[in-house]
Amino acid sequence: MSAQLPANLSAETVREISDARDEPEWLLEARLEALEALDELELPDVIQTPGRRWTNLEALDFESLVDPLNQADETTRESPEGVVVLPFTEALSEYGDLIEERFGSVVDPESNYLTALSAALFTTGTFIYVPEGVDAEDVKIRAEMNSRSLFSHTLVVTEESSSVTILEAIESGDSVDDARYFSNLVEIDAGENSYVQYGSLQNLDEETYTYSLKRADADTYSTVNWIEGNLGSRLTRSDVETELNGEASETKIVGAFFGHDDQHLDVNARVWHKAENTTADLVTRGVLDDEARSVYEGVQDVGRDAWSTNSYQRENTLMLSDQSEADASPKLIINNHDTEASHAASVGQVDAEDLFYMVSRSIPEEQARNMLVEGFFVPVLEEIAVDEFRDDLEELIAARLR
Amino acid sequence: MATLEIKNLHARVAEEDGEQILRGVDLEVKSGEIHALMGPNGSGKSTTSKIIAGHPAYEVTDGEILLHLEDDDFGDLEIPDDVRTWNLLELEPNERAALGIFLGFQYPAEIEGVTMTNFLRTALNAKIDEREELLFGEDDEEEEEEAGYDTSPMEGNVDDGEVGVAEFQKLLKEKMELLDMDEKFMQRYLNAGFSGGEKKQNEVLQAAILEPSIAVLDEIDSGLDIDRLQDVSKGINALRDEQGTGILQITHYQRILEYVEPDHVHIMLDGKVVKSGDASLASELEDKGYDWVREEVYEAA
Repeated sequence: MSAQLPANLSAETVREISDARDEPEWLLEARLEALEALDELELPDVIQTPGRRWTNLEALDFESLVDPLNQADETTRESPEGVVVLPFTEALSEYGDLIEERFGSVVDPESNYLTALSAALFTTGTFIYVPEGVDAEDVKIRAEMNSRSLFSHTLVVTEESSSVTILEAIESGDSVDDARYFSNLVEIDAGENSYVQYGSLQNLDEETYTYSLKRADADTYSTVNWIEGNLGSRLTRSDVETELNGEASETKIVGAFFGHDDQHLDVNARVWHKAENTTADLVTRGVLDDEARSVYEGVQDVGRDAWSTNSYQRENTLMLSDQSEADASPKLIINNHDTEASHAASVGQVDAEDLFYMVSRSIPEEQARNMLVEGFFVPVLEEIAVDEFRDDLEELIAARLR
Repeated sequence: MATLEIKNLHARVAEEDGEQILRGVDLEVKSGEIHALMGPNGSGKSTTSKIIAGHPAYEVTDGEILLHLEDDDFGDLEIPDDVRTWNLLELEPNERAALGIFLGFQYPAEIEGVTMTNFLRTALNAKIDEREELLFGEDDEEEEEEAGYDTSPMEGNVDDGEVGVAEFQKLLKEKMELLDMDEKFMQRYLNAGFSGGEKKQNEVLQAAILEPSIAVLDEIDSGLDIDRLQDVSKGINALRDEQGTGILQITHYQRILEYVEPDHVHIMLDGKVVKSGDASLASELEDKGYDWVREEVYEAA
């Protein structure tokens, strides 16, 4: 079942977006193709167990959420020497050929209804290009969403033996009374022996529905590390995925979420081992308070030719309230016996003995609980390379606890 | 000088049809004294210690636990006359700790993500705040609420509390040297990956930092090799000699009593203290075993 096409969505709309940005013909064609595909495409898969769908994307009213011609954002980009960090549109004039070659090569716009919608309508996003041998730290992109709907597309290309650490943060600007929709596609094309850490911090207001698909193609000896932080939104569907296509490539997918009130966070981490000697480590830690709900799916898919694979997955959810709910589905698919792999998920409450231990040392109960929750996120915080990102995430966690 | 007074304490496991564990415990421990509490498994020693600290798993069905304070118990801090006797059973566990009760755990919790330094400095500052609040009433300047923002799991809240980071580091270093503990523990997560012996040393270290009036040490000597036993014993003696802490030491073994010589020895059986004496009682017990006590007690009854 595919979603109803919003009435205000037509080839005309797409042309208008493309014309206004003076885009090359190929991009307009790509947008139109995506638009055309919408009829045939389904919403992203969600897990179903008897009697319920874990996340109900069908209920989203795209008709009222999507307002393609009035997209607005305010985005600042900080980039160190040697690396190209440009708004997607601006990058087209100078890096058009490269973008044409790689756009949509990692995230297929026709993956599902929501990716196609995003490819057809995106107006913001960033192009990051790290030339061969360049080491770049602390690329910072901070976006503020100022419209009912916003579609963003980011493309990261790292050449051989380069490295980069990136922070992308998104929050809400002007307040809008009604529900909003934010869509974010991120593609990373990691060249041979390159290193990328892509950190993402989503803290949108709690009237916003968010869809995000981040996907990397890791070449030989490359490393792609994702840090995915979700604190905001009313409902989030986030997929973070790496294809380990090159021999000895590695990935970490590290996630942190903290839901409260009636937030719904559907976070997913997936890795495909497609070459020999590849390594993956999936670590997600989440906290739920009030009536918040989380859904997690983790997939490690070890292909037939992925000899000598190491693949690990852990997901832990901590519940601070009896009304919160968490579902987790860690999956391990092995088509190659030469594999060392583990996968585990747990859901639990703050340990009563840990709490008593701290309280018996004079620390008031609530403060002790907060320390335990902050400590619970430390394994994620420790992975973050961009200091500002770590500080922001820590601060948001601390603020939500108090 | 503080006195912990346990009178006719009855308690059971706090659940439906919870087992009755304590059946009338009487004990009195004063600052500066060392008491050993011995008894066979299941006699109620550990339960007694947890109830003193306020563990929520137990329900007190009768009796009371009082803490009597005297003027000099909190150093220069003057304790008003009308708040010198406290009914511990009416206080939260953190409030009991603030008034000088310390529980050394038999199995200390391992807490990932919270460093020793952060934990202990937070505890020390919380103790100082809470104690003032209990003795002198509510703080008007609600400054604590704001504190949340500048916090970090590694260092804790940098500006918060009476004892600042630098001052605390110095204090911690001093106490660690005394216990022959490696400085590397300061930045490690609380008990995480510590050996059994290191955890016990850490319990004594925490007591040394928090300077309790009465420290209840639950099997602090179990699982220690001889070197560590000596370090821990040295630490316990220092608590008494340098800070005037009263010690209630729960143990199965005579061994630690050779290093930490008790002024009083008590024996528990079936939820009661059935026999008390001086240090010689422990040696007698070592020779004759609990059956001897059992026979003596039940014959007399």
